[in-house]
Amino acid sequence: MDAVSTRSKTVNQTLVASAAEAPSEAELAFDRLYRTSRDEVYAYVASLVRDAAAAEDVTATAFERAYRKRSRFDPSRGEPRAWLFGIARNAALDELRRRGRHAELAAEPADLAATPAHESAEASERRLAVADALADLESRERELIALKFFAGLSNAEIAAVVGIGESNAGTRLHRAMTKLREACDGAV
Amino acid sequence: MEPFEDDKLVSALESLRPEPRPAFAAELDERAAAGFPRSAGGSPLRRLADRLRSIEPRRALIPAGATALACIAALTVVIAASEKGEKKENPSGGLLSLESPGVTFDPEVAPRAAAGESAAGESLLRLSSKEAAASSAGAVAKAAPSDTGPYATRAPRREIERSAQLVLGTEPAEVRKAASEVFETVHAYRGIVLSSSIRDSGEGEAGARFALLIPSARLGDAMADFSAIGEVRTRREATADITAPTVRTGELLRDSKATVEGLLAQLAQADTDAERAAAEAKLRAERRHAANLRSQLSGLARRANLSRVQLRIESGAPAASSGESGWGIGDALDDAGHLIAIAAGVTIVGLAVVGPIALIVLLAWLANRARVKRARKRALA
Repeated sequence: MDAVSTRSKTVNQTLVASAAEAPSEAELAFDRLYRTSRDEVYAYVASLVRDAAAAEDVTATAFERAYRKRSRFDPSRGEPRAWLFGIARNAALDELRRRGRHAELAAEPADLAATPAHESAEASERRLAVADALADLESRERELIALKFFAGLSNAEIAAVVGIGESNAGTRLHRAMTKLREACDGAV
Repeated sequence: MEPFEDDKLVSALESLRPEPRPAFAAELDERAAAGFPRSAGGSPLRRLADRLRSIEPRRALIPAGATALACIAALTVVIAASEKGEKKENPSGGLLSLESPGVTFDPEVAPRAAAGESAAGESLLRLSSKEAAASSAGAVAKAAPSDTGPYATRAPRREIERSAQLVLGTEPAEVRKAASEVFETVHAYRGIVLSSSIRDSGEGEAGARFALLIPSARLGDAMADFSAIGEVRTRREATADITAPTVRTGELLRDSKATVEGLLAQLAQADTDAERAAAEAKLRAERRHAANLRSQLSGLARRANLSRVQLRIESGAPAASSGESGWGIGDALDDAGHLIAIAAGVTIVGLAVVGPIALIVLLAWLANRARVKRARKRALA
């Protein structure tokens, strides 16, 4: 709650400062995009790079790049969220490239171990089973699931981020979910 | 545990979503509020590249176009100014430039002057061996080239007639001194003063005029020395190739000589007084013709060896020559056309230089982009 309060305050400060300097339409649009996408971008990036510190760096880099390119964004060419996640994807892949290792699409083990206090034993067991099944999926399948359920993108937005057709994205996502469900059922 | 249903699976997936640390989120919010300030680190090149990347292409077109136009304008001004400077320094644009504006050559001027002063200049004439031989009987045939076409293109040596005009400016009190230096220079180059006129008076009226003959071989040096006497206001030089008339006259002289020899033989074989009288009459006429040809050949040799120089010393402001009384619309149009031509030239040269470089940069950028794309694909595989 505190975090949300701090964030709202900062964003309000941004808006006040921006209003004083008569911000452009692109700046206002970017501010809206940042406010609605910050945590989702982090979640998606963290699932790609699987390292909390690296995920923070990559998230900051992605937003910085997006901010620098905000005036070059053309709304007629796609959704702003798809554009932002495309930048985040490239930043994450650059990080992976730099480190020379492949992505593991899953939350950090530390996160999975931290079972919420209110969670039932069955829910906790189900969560661990899903995490294991997710780890066994191929990288591209894990990425699609992360974009869908961690970032909350639509199929059209996922297609734009990954660079495939919308129907193709839907088909691949369905296959990945089927595979995940089967893996989870097998575990149960 | 029950089998996974869709909503439970989705719920489990969403519960796995990584969340950012509050401290990181707060820090990122601060950076966002500050407009993601650039870090002080990183190379200047990198910072410049980041700055360029952040510029919207359409917005970049205006400053890029303005910069290009400014460069073209600046280069045009520099080139136009340097051209003006060159013209001021050397109005003729070169020692033997026939393309120089205002260069006019009157072939009649030099021979007339040379003929008028033939007595005075005789001792100074330095005829080439060919002309010397041509002017003496019997040697013409050997010296004259065989080609007598309109340009005598196969002549072994070209005969060039040169002339020059020079206008110098000086103070009224300096006119006499300048005139004295002109005489000294002519003497130093073993030239001839055909005529001179010096007038001492006030500004604009004091001046001097000279008609000079200078050995052609040293005309360049002499002109340089004359130019050093005062401020050069006009300098014009011209050349004319007189090889063809020289060769033709030499051949005519050779034919005439052969005719004279034939007539002498005819005279020796004449049996009657009438035949002898007729042969003598023809011989006299042919000798007159030969003498005339020899004189013409000598005149051509003088034209080639001595260059006529018309030198004028002025005092006061430069006098506008006829037809150049002011700067009018025609001049403005000429200047504008000239500037446009320079600007077009600068643009074309600039494109010729920048075009290939831009193409190389574009290809390198495309190649790098493809490489990065492939590497990113591999990173996720």
